[in-house]
Amino acid sequence: MGEYSLLIILFAPFLGAIGLIFVPRKEELLTRMIAAVSSGICLLASFYIFFAYDTEKAGYQFVQRFPWSEELGIAFYVGVDGIGGPLVFASAILLFAGVFVSWHIQDRTKEFYIFLLILAAATIGVFMSLDLFFLYFFYEMSVLPMYVLLGMWGSHTKGYLSMTDPEGLKLRDSVGFIFNFGSNSKEYAAMKLTLFLSAGAVVALMGILLIYHFSGLQTFDIVALREQTGIQENSTLAIIIWFLVFFGFASIAPIWPLHSWSPVGHAAAPAATSMLHAGVLMKLGHFSIIRVGYEILPETTREWIWVAAILCVFSIIYGGLVSYFAKDTKYIIGYSSSSHMGYIFLGMAALDYISLTGAVIYMFAHALATSMLFAMAGWVYDQTHTRDIPSLGGLMQKMPFISGAFIVACMASIGMPGTVNFIAEVMIIVGSWEKYPFQVIVAVLGIVLTLAYLFKMMRGLFYGELSPEYAHAQDARTFVDRMPLILLIVCSVSLGIFPGHFYEVVRSTVEPMLDRINQVAPVVSQVSQHSQGLLP
Amino acid sequence: MMTFDLTLTGSDLLLVLPEIFLTLWLCTVLSVDFSMRKVEHETLAYLSIGGLLATVFILIWFDQAGIIGSLFKNMYVVDHLSIFFKILILLATAMVIFISIDYVKGFRFFKGEYYFMVMMSGLGMMFMASANDLISVFVTLEFSTFGFYVLVAYLRDDIRSSEAGLKFFILGVFAAGLLAYGISLVYGETGTLIFSQMAGNPGSYGLAIGFLLIFAALGFKIGAVPFHSWIPDTYQGAPTPVTAFLSIAPKAAAIAILIRMFYVGLASFKPMWVLLFVCASIISMTYGNVVAIAQKNIKRLLAYSGIAQIGTIMVGLAAGTKQGSDAILFYLLTYLFANIGAFAVVIAVNNFINSDEIEDYNGLNRRSPFLAAAMFLFLLSLAGVPPLAGFIGKLYLFVAAIEEELYTLLIVGLINIVISMYYYLIVVKKMYINEPVDSTPVTVSLPIKTVVYVCVAGTLLLGIYPKAFIDWAVSATLMFSKIAPPATAAHSSLLGG
Repeated sequence: MGEYSLLIILFAPFLGAIGLIFVPRKEELLTRMIAAVSSGICLLASFYIFFAYDTEKAGYQFVQRFPWSEELGIAFYVGVDGIGGPLVFASAILLFAGVFVSWHIQDRTKEFYIFLLILAAATIGVFMSLDLFFLYFFYEMSVLPMYVLLGMWGSHTKGYLSMTDPEGLKLRDSVGFIFNFGSNSKEYAAMKLTLFLSAGAVVALMGILLIYHFSGLQTFDIVALREQTGIQENSTLAIIIWFLVFFGFASIAPIWPLHSWSPVGHAAAPAATSMLHAGVLMKLGHFSIIRVGYEILPETTREWIWVAAILCVFSIIYGGLVSYFAKDTKYIIGYSSSSHMGYIFLGMAALDYISLTGAVIYMFAHALATSMLFAMAGWVYDQTHTRDIPSLGGLMQKMPFISGAFIVACMASIGMPGTVNFIAEVMIIVGSWEKYPFQVIVAVLGIVLTLAYLFKMMRGLFYGELSPEYAHAQDARTFVDRMPLILLIVCSVSLGIFPGHFYEVVRSTVEPMLDRINQVAPVVSQVSQHSQGLLP
Repeated sequence: MMTFDLTLTGSDLLLVLPEIFLTLWLCTVLSVDFSMRKVEHETLAYLSIGGLLATVFILIWFDQAGIIGSLFKNMYVVDHLSIFFKILILLATAMVIFISIDYVKGFRFFKGEYYFMVMMSGLGMMFMASANDLISVFVTLEFSTFGFYVLVAYLRDDIRSSEAGLKFFILGVFAAGLLAYGISLVYGETGTLIFSQMAGNPGSYGLAIGFLLIFAALGFKIGAVPFHSWIPDTYQGAPTPVTAFLSIAPKAAAIAILIRMFYVGLASFKPMWVLLFVCASIISMTYGNVVAIAQKNIKRLLAYSGIAQIGTIMVGLAAGTKQGSDAILFYLLTYLFANIGAFAVVIAVNNFINSDEIEDYNGLNRRSPFLAAAMFLFLLSLAGVPPLAGFIGKLYLFVAAIEEELYTLLIVGLINIVISMYYYLIVVKKMYINEPVDSTPVTVSLPIKTVVYVCVAGTLLLGIYPKAFIDWAVSATLMFSKIAPPATAAHSSLLGG
């Protein structure tokens, strides 16, 4: 049974989605139950692989391989290592929580759950693919449901930086105007997100095809390509491939100049979609860079990963500043996510084993923290139908549970000791200090900034005067409403207090990977080759 | 000097059994229509479909039993490649007749002849798939187009249909002229009309111009830029089932001729025609996709998207390898399901709301979740999104291209995926996100439903489990496994001899 758990995790949501097609439209409760059961099975199986992962053995585990097309050298090849495993677990948690967060969706419930399940399953598929073809397959497959989810169940943004606000206007015109064309409709957000991510995907696909061609193996198998790339490291070709892969996947991560789709998309999306999107979809970028870049071209990565270290500074500062000035709850959380992605890039760029372990743990930790924030922003929106912070306030009186949970989520986002974010942030900062002291200072300032804007948002939402038009707002009272938040908080805190196994899982993979990257390869300079040729 | 040998033996007749069978069958359909006036036209439609499917079974038997050979001194060949294309064309014809049934109800006259014409065009294209020399190319091409001239202008009361028919006719005749002129030049230069005998010829200007003219004539059939000008108007004006037919079957048949002509006849001039196809492919893809963005009518949108798809298919021809031809065959299969499916949805919607404007697809998801979901899948398959068939097809073509290191083509092709996604998603947006003006549920008749289900199944199956179909495509092109040796210095130029 154990060895099939990855297949169960992957196919439970897919089968749930297929099953939903045949459910009559009127049976809304049945629809929700099927979604809940299939995501529950997925969560249980991923819980199993997370804890059953053998840290002594390390490497790819729970491997399943089925030939798919010999002509093209494709196999359906799945397995998780210490990086994929936790991310699969995180996706399953978010899917399960997301199903309950969207429990009250009335409009076309059936379609909503079908697309949500496909989105989550595709995301999970990327984290377990050991074949470049299927990595791309699931990657691109996860983008399209976003379009429909945003467009159909999303909400229009009422000016994320309100145009009357001089500070916001100035900031947007000075730094971020390049990609912000400034439409606020959900259709625009959905189209921008889809096209941006598809463009990123085809850039990465170009890199993947080049790897396929120049490896000379006629295979997409990552494990085989890892053993024998056939591509001269640090040659022009390798550098081109590396950059195609890096920027192709970094567009979903999103790194600074390629980030503009993400806050717009987050703001427009329904709560469960934002949760999955910010929680795990964005990590597809980091994960794929590690899978393709770090595994297949380790030495080129060693030489060029400084690019990420430079760009992450802009991500952290820019995202933080925009969040501070923004007035829209989801927009703030969206930009804060894209700011926090900078930490992961910093941890990845330092190529230090503590920092990379920290980066992987941060991916997991951020998934939990940010999806809590999105879930609650979604709740507040459902109750008040606005996300404009100045018009809100005093909701503490009406929703004590939500505001309490919100404080916990803020703490987790900032990295309070006791949450898993704390461990991750400390590891990133400690591990990167030696190589990138400047970036670490920026990162610490970024944490302070996070504190500032999250507290500002909390004050704006929950304290102060309650506007009479929101007097009807309800707290999360029922089990269904509270369960997702409690689940996320419990996971975050329990892994924060007992990180031992999690740390071991990640370490077992990160250590050999970094040994491979950092080992000094025999350098044969071109000059010496040339002079050898001249000798008689 | 060349002689024609037209003697036939009994075993030769076996090779044309599918065509003979279909000819007899369509005569039967016609006589039933004439002699029994009481027979409903639906019965004739099902009778035609029965004949087409029976022919498919005969062809499958040929393929399995390895009944292959050639007739008339290699003018007409029956090999696995031609069998593949014949099956593809027959499936398209059968599906087109299925989706025509409701449409034909609206005709006042000639209901029975319609099916006869569709089948006759299908028969002509079956011959095209077997054409192995320039004379048979000319004859079969004209034979198949003849039926289409009538079909495109079938709606006699509709001025658009007549306009479409006229445009199609004039440009078609013009293309025929080019073809004849090209053939005469090639014959003058090489002294032969059979592809396989041209292979060793030295190049010359006459030969180059001759083949360019032939390429132009076939370019009209497949709608490659700059020979595409008839496509949008004809597609829009023709009866929609005929548009669906035009969008796949003649293209497939012409591609079969292109593959044979360039892979066999011009193997030694590969670098020259690779350049030709790279240019044609880049222009067609980009033009088709960019112009499609501005379209307001779904049939015109699909017309321009078809131009872009032909550009994508030519990526395989530009690769010029066996893998390239495999990829083309596979892509045509994916295109068959996605495109006929999309047109089936268009017909279903048109039958109900009597409009082809994209604006009128607003809120289709609320009016008919089934049609909207099917259209969603077909459009995304055309765009090339996993897990649908189009993605595998495109990836296969791109793999073939990168193995030949055609980077420019690849980059343009990848960019075009993103461009095409934009206008397909606009339709998706109308169907799913916009609210309907009039929310009466759209009802779908049984024949169209059947075709849509078949196409959805095909689109998903080819995307999720393409192995069997890839294997089929690979075995159909086995004869090319030794083609296209690297051009030697002596043969590298089509112009120098």
